[in-house]
Amino acid sequence: MATKTRILLAPRKLRLPSSSRTYYSHNHPPPPGPFNPVESTILSASAPHIPTHGFTLTTLSLGAKDAGYIDASTNLFPRGAFALVQWHLYTQRMALQKQRGIISPAVREGERAPGVGTKVKMLTWERLMGNRDVVHRWQEALALMALPSNIPPSLRELGALSDEIWYLSGDTSVDSSWYTKRASLSSIYAASELFMTTDKTDGYKETRAFMERRFGDVQAVGGAVGSLGQWVGFNARAGLNVLRSKGARI
Amino acid sequence: MATRSALRPLLRPRKLQCLSAQTSRYFSHSIRRAESPSQQPATNNNGRTTHFGFETIAEAEKEAKVAGVFDNVAASYDTMNDFMSLGIHRLWKDHFVRSINPGLSTTTSSSDGWTMLDIAGGTGDIAFRLLDHATQINNSPASTITVSDINPHMLAEGKKRSLATSYANSPRLSWLVANAEKLDTIPSNSIDLYTVAFGIRNFTNKDVALREAYRVLKPGGVFACLEFSGVKNPLLDAIYKRWSFGAIPLLGQLVAGDRESYQYLVESIEQFPKQEQFRDMIKEAGFVVPGKGWEDLTFGVAAIHKGVKPVDKV
Repeated sequence: MATKTRILLAPRKLRLPSSSRTYYSHNHPPPPGPFNPVESTILSASAPHIPTHGFTLTTLSLGAKDAGYIDASTNLFPRGAFALVQWHLYTQRMALQKQRGIISPAVREGERAPGVGTKVKMLTWERLMGNRDVVHRWQEALALMALPSNIPPSLRELGALSDEIWYLSGDTSVDSSWYTKRASLSSIYAASELFMTTDKTDGYKETRAFMERRFGDVQAVGGAVGSLGQWVGFNARAGLNVLRSKGARI
Repeated sequence: MATRSALRPLLRPRKLQCLSAQTSRYFSHSIRRAESPSQQPATNNNGRTTHFGFETIAEAEKEAKVAGVFDNVAASYDTMNDFMSLGIHRLWKDHFVRSINPGLSTTTSSSDGWTMLDIAGGTGDIAFRLLDHATQINNSPASTITVSDINPHMLAEGKKRSLATSYANSPRLSWLVANAEKLDTIPSNSIDLYTVAFGIRNFTNKDVALREAYRVLKPGGVFACLEFSGVKNPLLDAIYKRWSFGAIPLLGQLVAGDRESYQYLVESIEQFPKQEQFRDMIKEAGFVVPGKGWEDLTFGVAAIHKGVKPVDKV
């Protein structure tokens, strides 16, 4: 009985809804990453082995050993090598925040500050360049991401990436374009990433051109859809007014 | 052997008669006990009590009582497991071992295998699977295992069974009669993998055993536990409860000729901490748990819990 009262009287810890929040807010600390400190230690030690050993269990256990752990410690990762893919996606996404030169560029007098669209393009390119060191192994990662059980976390990470890019570029839309922007950027990024795995040109010129064309396509399609919507809207209203002028009670 | 024990009740019709009157009462009795498992713990002279199924007994008695249960069931252990779980326990054990991936090594020389310890592994079920996986999948013939059990009868059963495997009399397999709460003969920081499958439920002090596991494991070593747990879906849970409280003691009576031991078994399953609670016990012992800390098997009838001993205790 005494213990019961004590529990009731004990001050409840103020709980910040940090992990359950599905939106971004300046006023709350960012949600914790998907990895605990021990997992982060092992994964960051594994990352340098990816170019040689790929996204495999070997890389993971080499990293564990580098971090002072043993082969058995790879049991920390129930999804096995997919943890390496997740780690790469997560750290590269977080690295975008450090691109201060793109996010808030120093603007000289008489020059126009780059718009949101330009920033999105630049950040997307930076993110693609984040894959440069592992691109010859990236097809392994794509194969792991395509496993049915790994598809949901992979898609979530893709969504988080395009959201991050739009947010960092200064997008503040609150209408339905919020969704279409993120959806179209996700598709552009995924396509460019796949293109990059087979690109052998110097400085990934082909990939750059491919990405530019995709952005152009989206703009063209977006413009066409917008114009079509305008046209349909105009004609609908005109038709309505014609009917009204004929005496229809609408 | 199994057929004989199955026939035993039929061979003694008179005894069966007097049992059958009791059987129906037992059935309803066990259901009623299932619905109200939280009895007030009886105060003991020494104060320290523990669970034995739904009964509350003095801590000192539990070890002997559990020993009694396993002395009784040792011979028919596997037959009964097959009957009770409809053979699914084999899948669970295979999955358990596959998920641990024992013997994984990045060094090309096969000199250093894993040092494994299988606690409460009397019949060697898990131990042989671990060795098979290490040898055949991960090409690690240097991996060794110590099978430990508190009950010499169960170990004898395992030794008998090991003769049919390639590990008979090999230095890779050793046997140890020991209490999991006091593994004095095993040095600290010496084990890569500590497994306990369907055993920790019967320990008197689970937290002491977990701390002992923490002690013997190398930094980075893995604690892996396969144990019955709680079914989350209420409908499936109702079906599962009917099966475990209704059918399993009856099966125990028919196949192994021992109802009480199997009544204890289902009650101890019910008393064992559920997924979240056991995860927290593992964390409390100092382990880092991967992800949410457990993996449900067959809707949560059983669960795999894992913990890794961190290199620097935070």
